[in-house]
Order: sequence, then structure tokens, then C-alpha cells
Amino acid sequence: MDINQLLQSVELFDGLSGKDLDEVAAICKQRKYNAGEILAKEGEVGSELFVVSEGLVEVTVEEFTVPRVVVNLGAGQIVGEMSLVDRGPRSATVRAIHDTVVQVIQHDEFKDLCERNTGIGYLVMSNMAADLSFKLRHRNLSEE
Amino acid sequence: MAIWKVSYVVKSSELPGGIINLDHTPEPGEILQIGDTHLEILEAFELIPARGDFHYIHATCKVIEQTE
Repeated sequence: MDINQLLQSVELFDGLSGKDLDEVAAICKQRKYNAGEILAKEGEVGSELFVVSEGLVEVTVEEFTVPRVVVNLGAGQIVGEMSLVDRGPRSATVRAIHDTVVQVIQHDEFKDLCERNTGIGYLVMSNMAADLSFKLRHRNLSEE
Repeated sequence: MAIWKVSYVVKSSELPGGIINLDHTPEPGEILQIGDTHLEILEAFELIPARGDFHYIHATCKVIEQTE
């Protein structure tokens, strides 16, 4: 799957034109993680958004110093968006469960793209809110 | 290109559940392979209305095989 095909399958980029997707693809850098490797660590400052291309990652939060896996995310899902929105520290640790390929987007480059092309910015921010909402619904249902 | 974004939870298991994309509507009885785990879908329903190319589904599953 080429990068534009991948981006089309990611809700964050739903509604973007082919030209817009080319602009997003231009700021993506592919990175591979072996099973067990950490993509992001809870509490640390994060400057990257990850789009899972292949594989599976687990998201873990510390509860009273005990780590608890809250969700697994497969291809097409994004992680690291919260620190992009609020500039806060990572809210969770993200670890590759299997060998995993991600597209990495630097927050500053992403923000710059959204500000240069406000059409992209509006759609992406709207889609990001929807993705966060979906994750919250998932968490509510998983705790019933 | 329609995509089904699926929130799944696993009944009677310590597995955390997750979110995956599928290229088809998940149906009860279908087997999903998530990593090394095979899950059978027990129930699936639309969680929120479809938007753009995306359909949003919630599925309840049970473990039928786990190799790790």
C-alpha cells in the first residue's frame, strides 16, 4: 500500500482531496518498531503524531504506579494526537505489540500545514475531534 | 472506499479490546485475528452514524484462540 492509499484509510484525513493528501504525505516519515519497542512514554514531552501503517500497538496508562493496557490500536489508527492538541506531556505509553510500521508527523510541521492550508486544517481538526470522541466511546463501552 | 472503523471489546477476558479498520461490515460469527489472538464476534452494531467514507461499529467478541 502506498502512502496516499494509507492516508485515505485514516479517518484523520477523511475528506481531503488527492492534492491535500500529497501535502500530508510530504511531511510523513516512515519508521519501523520491533515488537516490544516503545513509541511514546507517558509523562514525556511529545512532538510527534503516529499513524499506524502496519502492525498493532498497545496503549498503557499508569494507575497508582501499576500499568494498565487500555486499548490496542491497529492499522489506520492514530496515536499521539493529544499532545499535538494541548502541548501537554504524553498521556499514555505506546508500545509495539508486533513489528509495526508507522508514519511519523512532527507536530510543528503538521500545525504549519494546517495554518498554510486552512481547508486541510479545518477538516483534520474536525476529524481529530471525531477520533478522540470515538476513542472515548470505546473506553466507556470497554469499562461497562 | 468505505471503511468500517471497529471498536471491539472482549468479554470475560483481561484483553483490553481495541480499535481497528476493516474493509467490510463485521458480522456476528465472524473471526477476527488481532495480533496473535483470534476473536469471534458475538454482536456488532452501528455506534454512531456513518460520516464520509467511514462507518462506526462496536463489536463484542470472545476469545477462541490465543497463541501467546
